[in-house]
Amino acid sequence: MTAALLVQSAVIGLSIGSIYILMALGLTLMFGMMHIINFAHGAVYMLGAFAIYYVYFQWGAPYFAAFVLAMLLLGAFGYLVERSIYRPIKGGVEPTLVALLALTTLLQAAGYPVFGTLDKHVPPVFSGTRNVLGVMISVERLMIIPIAGALVVGLYLFINKTRMGAAMRAIEQDKEAAALQGVNVNVINGLAFAVGFALAAAAGALMAPIFKLDPMMGEQPLLKAFIIIILGGLGSIPGAILGGLILGLIDSIVATALGAEPAFLLSFVFIILLLLWRPTGLFGHAL
Amino acid sequence: MKQSTPFTLVGLLAAVLLGSSPGAEAADVIKFGVSTPLSGPAAPWGIPHKGATELIFDEINSQGGLEVGGKKYKLEVVAYDHKYVIAEGAATVNRLIAKDSVKFISILGGTVVKAVEETVNESRVLNLPLAYADGLVSPRNPYTFHSFPSPPETVTFWNWIKQHHPNIKRVASITPNDDTGWWSLKVETKYVATLGYEVVAREFFERVVTDFNPLLLRVLAQKPDIISVLAAPAGSVGLIIKQARVLGYKGRFIHIGQMDTSVVAGIAGKENVEGTWVHGYVQTPLPEKVKNWQARYTKKHGEWNATSIDFANPAFAFVAAVKKAQSLDPKRIAEALSTVEFENLWGKAHFGGKDYYGIGNQIIYPMPFSEVKDGVAHLVAQLSPPHN
Repeated sequence: MTAALLVQSAVIGLSIGSIYILMALGLTLMFGMMHIINFAHGAVYMLGAFAIYYVYFQWGAPYFAAFVLAMLLLGAFGYLVERSIYRPIKGGVEPTLVALLALTTLLQAAGYPVFGTLDKHVPPVFSGTRNVLGVMISVERLMIIPIAGALVVGLYLFINKTRMGAAMRAIEQDKEAAALQGVNVNVINGLAFAVGFALAAAAGALMAPIFKLDPMMGEQPLLKAFIIIILGGLGSIPGAILGGLILGLIDSIVATALGAEPAFLLSFVFIILLLLWRPTGLFGHAL
Repeated sequence: MKQSTPFTLVGLLAAVLLGSSPGAEAADVIKFGVSTPLSGPAAPWGIPHKGATELIFDEINSQGGLEVGGKKYKLEVVAYDHKYVIAEGAATVNRLIAKDSVKFISILGGTVVKAVEETVNESRVLNLPLAYADGLVSPRNPYTFHSFPSPPETVTFWNWIKQHHPNIKRVASITPNDDTGWWSLKVETKYVATLGYEVVAREFFERVVTDFNPLLLRVLAQKPDIISVLAAPAGSVGLIIKQARVLGYKGRFIHIGQMDTSVVAGIAGKENVEGTWVHGYVQTPLPEKVKNWQARYTKKHGEWNATSIDFANPAFAFVAAVKKAQSLDPKRIAEALSTVEFENLWGKAHFGGKDYYGIGNQIIYPMPFSEVKDGVAHLVAQLSPPHN
């Protein structure tokens, strides 16, 4: 593998990793607070992409307006899911998992009659290529990195610098104690759903102009996000960021050097070895 | 009155059940099963597969039906979506055979058709698939008549390329990582090697993959003149072409399977698909017979789909064989298929290829080969397979 190829695959890996991070952040946030795995995350990613297809491509709105709208709409949908599914189940982990799995199936199945059976596409928002360290990288790939980075920083500031973020951290540490201190657990849980869904929507909205769109498009990113949160440590936001970058780089560099199959296998071997060394993942802690 | 209600309900139920039982209609209807992807990445193949079959059958029905042994039968398509997923494919075929009692079937997709090979054989169901799979056309499958040109037939286009574009020397192949892809790649690379081409890369991808960059970086490092995307669905090819162009690839693409180049252009961009060669998908110039088909297909389905041209083969072959056999026995229709010559939309067609496959169950006809120019698939040649 030449140095140029290494640089090119590393930059591509960073952009793939950025998407993985966005997907994993929402998942890990919801797991950290409520100990639930949101199986609907992939379907929300798909809905985020289709929101861009309609609002930006079909109706002609500016891309970033469509992007923000997708996050807001699906964030509101997340809040609604918390109110209508999670809260009535009273936070039961297993029933919530099954209910979210059912929601995923419903959204995917509804996708075909609603969006059509043929793959959709969205025209590129950023075109052309840029020379990065002597190799050509597409601008649309490069732009994922700062946009995802900005969202990660925004999430960090929200969680660490706002009262609602402090309430989320309090619930993560001890739900009962947080409630005794006056935190409205239901509202904050709803907020976590909204933020998690909005991040998944952002990932889908970012990828819409790069890949094709179909109702099942969220399955692969969801699988990657699961791997990442296990790698980084369930419930850990720094772990999701580091895990996303590691997996993105493995997916790109190893796949370029050895092929896609070895890269896929290696990512699992890496996780198994890591979990043997640290059963809670890179930044996780015992539940 | 009060007591009569349950009896009335029972009577109604009995009438409904009797009326809807298979036996009540089977005497006048020939059911033809279609198991095909009507959703997902391979839907651009499945939708015209179903649409073409329905059109041919509707036209025969409008003339009173298909005459067999002095009796007119209506033709009915029973179609299910298998999404190009093996498990779904097996379920749809089992349902067609066990529940819908079909004796004639057309399955699209190599991995699916291989998964149900034994079921089809044991049930003695006549199968007219559109599928690429090693060993599908074989003496082991006497009731399977492959109704679309396979790689052993379509490799003949490489002769045309060698003759008309001698500057192309280095070939890379990217195919799905399944039975269909492996076989297609094996057949194609073996053939191009005999023509003197250098096969510089062979890569497989999972059908769910959307990011081809790592794979393409490996392929492009070998500096191919042409990339073959044989057996890949249009959605995947669109992404491969788009991402390869972004990475700086200037060469050609070829698909000697079949794909809708308008779907590809929608994803990859019209300019990026320029010069792509494809078998079995033609937009212009269309022969009169195909133009006429285009008008009829558009009238029935609301929009034109050029993939329907070659995917009409199973229905054309089936109707011709039933007419010749004058029987609804799959065995007798299979015997008729072995010898019948019939018209498809490109001319005379028959089942042959015994020298290559050991059984003459592969459709043979002058196959269309197109080049995308300004976003439109132009017919550049019609060629016969290397074997008859």
